[in-house]
Amino acid sequence: MYFRIIRNDILKSKAITLTTMIFVAAASMLVSLAAILVVNLSGALDTLMTQAKTPHFMQMHSGDIDTARLKSFAEQNNNVEEYQVVEFLGMDGTQIILGDHSLSDSVQDNGFSIQNEKFDYLLDLNGNIINVSDGELYVPITYMRDNTVSVGDKAVINGKEFTVSGFLRDSTMNSSLSASKRFLVSNKDFAEIKELGSIEYLIEFKLKDFSAIGEFETAYASAGLEANGPTVTYTLFKTMNAISDGMLIAVILLVCALVVAIAFMSIRFTLLAKIEDDYREIGVMKAIGLRLSDIKKIYLAKYAGIAAAGSIFGFIFSLMFQGMLLENIRLYMGESENSSVALVLGIIGILLVFLAIVTYVNFVLKRFQKISAAEAIRFGTSQEKIAGAKRFTLIRNRLFSTNIFLGIKDVLARKRLYATMLVVLVISAFIMIVPQNLYNTISSKSFIQYMGIGNYDLRIQTNISDKTNEIVKTIDSDSAVSKYTVLTTKTFKVKTSNGSEENIKVELGDHAAFPIEYSEGRAPARDDEIALSVINAGEMSKKVGDYLTLVIEGKEKYLTVTGIYSDVTNGGKTAKAVFTDNSANVMWTIICVELSDKSLIDSRVSGYSDKFDFAKTSDIDEYVSQTLGSTINSVEMASYTAVAFALVITVLVTLLFMKMLVAKDRYSIAVMKALGFTNSDIKAQYVSRSVFVLIVGIILGTLLANTLGEVLAGALISSFGASKFNFTVNPFNAYLLSPLMMIFTVLIATMIGTSSAGKIKISENIKE
Amino acid sequence: MKKIIIGDHIVKAFGEGDEQRNVLDGVSVEINEGEFVSVMGSSGSGKSTLMFALSGMDGFDGGKVVFDSRDLSAVGENELSDIRRTKMGFVFQQPTMLKNLNILDNIILPSMRGNRKNVVKISEKARALMKRVGIAELEKRDIIQVSGGQLQRAGICRALMNSPKIIFGDEPTGSLNSKSAQEIMDIFSEINADGTSVMLVTHDAKVAARTERIMFMRDGKIVSELKLPKFDGMDMDGRLEKVTVKMLEIGI
Ligand SMILES: Nc1ncnc2c1ncn2[C@@H]1O[C@H](COP(=O)(O)OP(=O)(O)OP(=O)(O)O)[C@@H](O)[C@H]1O
Ligand SMILES: [Mg+2]
Repeated sequence: MYFRIIRNDILKSKAITLTTMIFVAAASMLVSLAAILVVNLSGALDTLMTQAKTPHFMQMHSGDIDTARLKSFAEQNNNVEEYQVVEFLGMDGTQIILGDHSLSDSVQDNGFSIQNEKFDYLLDLNGNIINVSDGELYVPITYMRDNTVSVGDKAVINGKEFTVSGFLRDSTMNSSLSASKRFLVSNKDFAEIKELGSIEYLIEFKLKDFSAIGEFETAYASAGLEANGPTVTYTLFKTMNAISDGMLIAVILLVCALVVAIAFMSIRFTLLAKIEDDYREIGVMKAIGLRLSDIKKIYLAKYAGIAAAGSIFGFIFSLMFQGMLLENIRLYMGESENSSVALVLGIIGILLVFLAIVTYVNFVLKRFQKISAAEAIRFGTSQEKIAGAKRFTLIRNRLFSTNIFLGIKDVLARKRLYATMLVVLVISAFIMIVPQNLYNTISSKSFIQYMGIGNYDLRIQTNISDKTNEIVKTIDSDSAVSKYTVLTTKTFKVKTSNGSEENIKVELGDHAAFPIEYSEGRAPARDDEIALSVINAGEMSKKVGDYLTLVIEGKEKYLTVTGIYSDVTNGGKTAKAVFTDNSANVMWTIICVELSDKSLIDSRVSGYSDKFDFAKTSDIDEYVSQTLGSTINSVEMASYTAVAFALVITVLVTLLFMKMLVAKDRYSIAVMKALGFTNSDIKAQYVSRSVFVLIVGIILGTLLANTLGEVLAGALISSFGASKFNFTVNPFNAYLLSPLMMIFTVLIATMIGTSSAGKIKISENIKE
Repeated sequence: MKKIIIGDHIVKAFGEGDEQRNVLDGVSVEINEGEFVSVMGSSGSGKSTLMFALSGMDGFDGGKVVFDSRDLSAVGENELSDIRRTKMGFVFQQPTMLKNLNILDNIILPSMRGNRKNVVKISEKARALMKRVGIAELEKRDIIQVSGGQLQRAGICRALMNSPKIIFGDEPTGSLNSKSAQEIMDIFSEINADGTSVMLVTHDAKVAARTERIMFMRDGKIVSELKLPKFDGMDMDGRLEKVTVKMLEIGI
C-alpha cells in the first residue's frame, strides 16, 4: 500500500520529483567526479614521479661551477644516494622555431638537455625513458597541449634542423607554473648547439631518506655550494604538478557543496509544501490513532527513492564525464595504477550524499510531531505560520498596491517555506558575484600592488651582470625616460631562529623610486634595514621591528625589518634592502623605467629588445598579463560559467517553487477569482512574492559576496603570497547588471511557473 | 418588474463520450430586482452548478445568462471578474477566507483592488457592517481564532462590501447550528429589505421558508416552484408546512 501511495504521489508531481532528482544527480556526480579525480591525480602523479625518478633536491645555478667540490660534498653527506649535474642549455625563444611557430613570444625559459643517466628521466607519453637519436627533437608536452607543433614537424634551432619525434613528460618542469621547459636532443646534437645558448646547471640529488630533507638543505647551504638560482625540492615538484588539476578539484568540490545545499533546499521546500498540503490528512490520521512513524515512513521512502535514483544517475554521469576531466592528468602524468580504488571512493562519496539526504529528510519530518490533530481537522492548517507579520495589514498598507501587498504578506506569513527559496537565491547571487569580483580584482591595474611591482612602464631584465652598465648608459641618455632605477637580486645566507643558515634572495637598490604597497611598515631606507615578502616573513616568523642576520662573506650583518609586502613573483619569497654589496654573485638585474610619454612604450619595448638581445625587455602591462594571464583567463571563464550556472539554477528553482505554490494554493486562487480578482491580479501577486524574495536574496547575496566571498578569495590569493586583499568591484556588473539578469530570469520563470493559475476553475476548487 | 438575472435554457455537460451527461439540462431562471429566492433539490441535482453558471464563475455549453442587462457569455474573463467584484456578493458553506489575512483584511480584500485611495471609507464601511452582524470586536483576529458562525458573518460582510445588486449563497447556513442559522437568515432578510436580491441554495426547509420563491431542482431541471409572500416575521409555521408539503410532493 505504501508503494501505491508513493507512486501516485510521484506521478502527480512529476516535474517536481524530476527537478529534485536532477539536483541530487548533479550533486552525486560532482562528489563522485571529485573522488575519481583525487585518486587518479595522486596515483598518476606517484607513477610519473616514480618512473621519472624525480630528484629530491634540485639547485639551479647559473655561472661557474666547481664539480670537484660538489662531488666531495655528495660523497661525504651520508644521506645522498645519487647525485648528478645536468646541463640546461637556455636559448632565446626567437631561436626556436617549431613547425610554423617561433617561440619568440613565449614567457617560458626554453632550453635543451640530453637524457639523464641516473635519475630525473624525461619520459615519452607511454611512461618510458626516451632514447633519442641524432636529428630528433622531443618537445615538452605543453606545446602539444596548445597545438604549437605536432609529431613529424620540422623544427629549426638556431639554424640547425631537427624532426619533432615526440613529446616528453618532464616530472620537474611539466607544470605551467614552472618557468623553464626542457627539450630533449641527442648528445651529439647537444654538443653542436651548445655554443648558441647559455648553460645553466641543475644540481640534482636523490636522498636515501627524504624526510631528512630539511637537514640536507641546511647542510647544502652552509657548505657554501653553488646557489645562484632557485632551489626546488620533491614536495614542491609534486605540488606544482598537482596544482592545476588540484584547482579543478577544489572548484568541483565548491560547486558540489553549493549543489548539495540547493538539493537540500528544494527537498525542504517540497517537503514543507507537501506537509502543508497534507496537513488535514495527517491530523486526521493522528486523530484516529495511526502511528506518526508509519506516516513518516511514507514520506521518507519517497525521498529515499528519489535520492537513490538520483545517486545512480549521478554515478553513471560521473563515469561518462570522467574521461573528459582525466584527459589532462592522463596527458601530463599518464595512467593511474589505482583507478579501481577511484570508483570505490566515488561510490562511497555518493553513499554519503545519499545518507545525508535521508538524514535531512528525517530531520525535516520532525515537524510531524508538532501537528495538532484538533487544529488540523478544524482549520486544515497549522496555527504557527500565521503568527508572522501581524501588523502588516491591508488596512494599514499605504505603500503597495493590493496585489503586491498580498504577495509580500504571503511571503511574511510562510517564512519557513520561502526561506528555502531565499537560500537558493542567495547562493545564486553569491556564485554570480564572487567570481566576477575576483576577475575584476586580478585584472585591475591596482592588482599589481599584490605582485610586488611598482608603478613603472617597462622592465628590462638581464642575468648577465657585466652588461648592466651598457643598458643603464642607454637608458640614461634616452630623453623619453623620466625616471629609472636599477634593482639587483642576489642570494645571501640568512640565519634562521635555530642557528642554521638558509639562502634568501634580496633585491638591492633604490626602493623609493617606484614604491610598492606595504601591508605593514614601510620600505627600507637605510643600510641596516630590510623588507620581507609576506611568505618569507611568515616562514621566518618575523614582524616589523624584528632583527634579521645575514651572513655576507662570513661576516654577520644585522638588519631591522621595516616592512612586509605582498609578492606573487618568484614563489613569493623575496626581500628588499638598500645596502651595497660587491661580494655575492648577481642572480639577475632589473632596470625599471618610467617614460614621460606613455605612447612611446611600444616603440621603446621593441627598440630595447632589439638592442639588448641578451636581456628581456617587457611592457609592464604585458609582463603582468603574461605572468597572470592564464590565471586571469581561467578566472574570467569561471566567472562567465558561474553566471550561467547561477541563472540556470535560479530559473529551475523558481519554476519548481512557483509550480508547487500554484498547485498548493489552488483553493485560495479559486476564492480570489470568485471574489473578482482577475488572472493577471493573481499573476501579479505571485510575481510580487518571488520578486520580494529575490530582492532580499540579492541584497543578502551581495553582502555575503563582499564579506565572506572576499575572505574566501583572499585566502585563495594569499596562498600565492599576497596579504591584505580587497575586492575591486565593477559596480555596473556587480550591482546593476547581475541583479537585473536575476530579476529578469525570475520574472520569466515566475510567469511560466504560474501560467497554470489561469486554468484553475473556481467551481472545481470550491465544492459546495 | 426589472429582472436582475435571466438564465435562458442553460445547458452544462460534464464528462466525455458515453459518460457525458447534462448536469444542467436547459434550465431557465429569472430573478427580479430585490427578490429573495431559494433553490432546493437533492444532492447532485445541479444547484451549485446553476449558481456557478449564473454568476459567471464557470462557463456553460448552451443557453445564455443575462445579468443586469448584459449577456455574460459575450463578456471577457477580466470583465467578468469586475462584474463579480462590484455587482455580486458570495457567501459559501465553508468559509472561504484567506488564512494569511485577519478578519478585517479579508472583508475589505475585494474592495481594495485598484481602490486603495478609499481605504478610509472602505474600512469605515467594513466596521459598520461588522457591527451590524455582531462581530465588531473581531476585526484583528486571525480567521482560525473565531467560530464558524462568526466566520460566516464575516463572509457576509465581505459579500456586502461593494453594495452588490445580488448576493449568492450556496448553503450559507449548512455548517451552522440552528440558532446561528436563524441569526444568519435574519441578516439576509435585512439585506434583502434594503433592496438587494438574494439567491440561496439550501437543503434546509426552514431556510427556504423564509424566502419568497422556492425553485425545486431535479436532474438538472427546475421541476417546480413555490411562491410565498415576503417574510415579515409572522406565520413561520404555515410557510414551513407549505414547503415541506411541496418537498414531499416532489420527492426530495
Ligand atoms: N467537475 C465536474 N466533473 C464532472 N462532474 C461534475 C463536476 N462538478 C459537478 N459534477 C456533477 O454534476 C452534478 C451536479 O453537481 P452540483 O455540485 O451542482 O450538485 P449540487 O446540487 O450542488 O449538490 P449538493 O447538494 O451535494 O451540493 C453532480 O452529479 C456532480 O457529480
Ligand atoms: Mg452544491
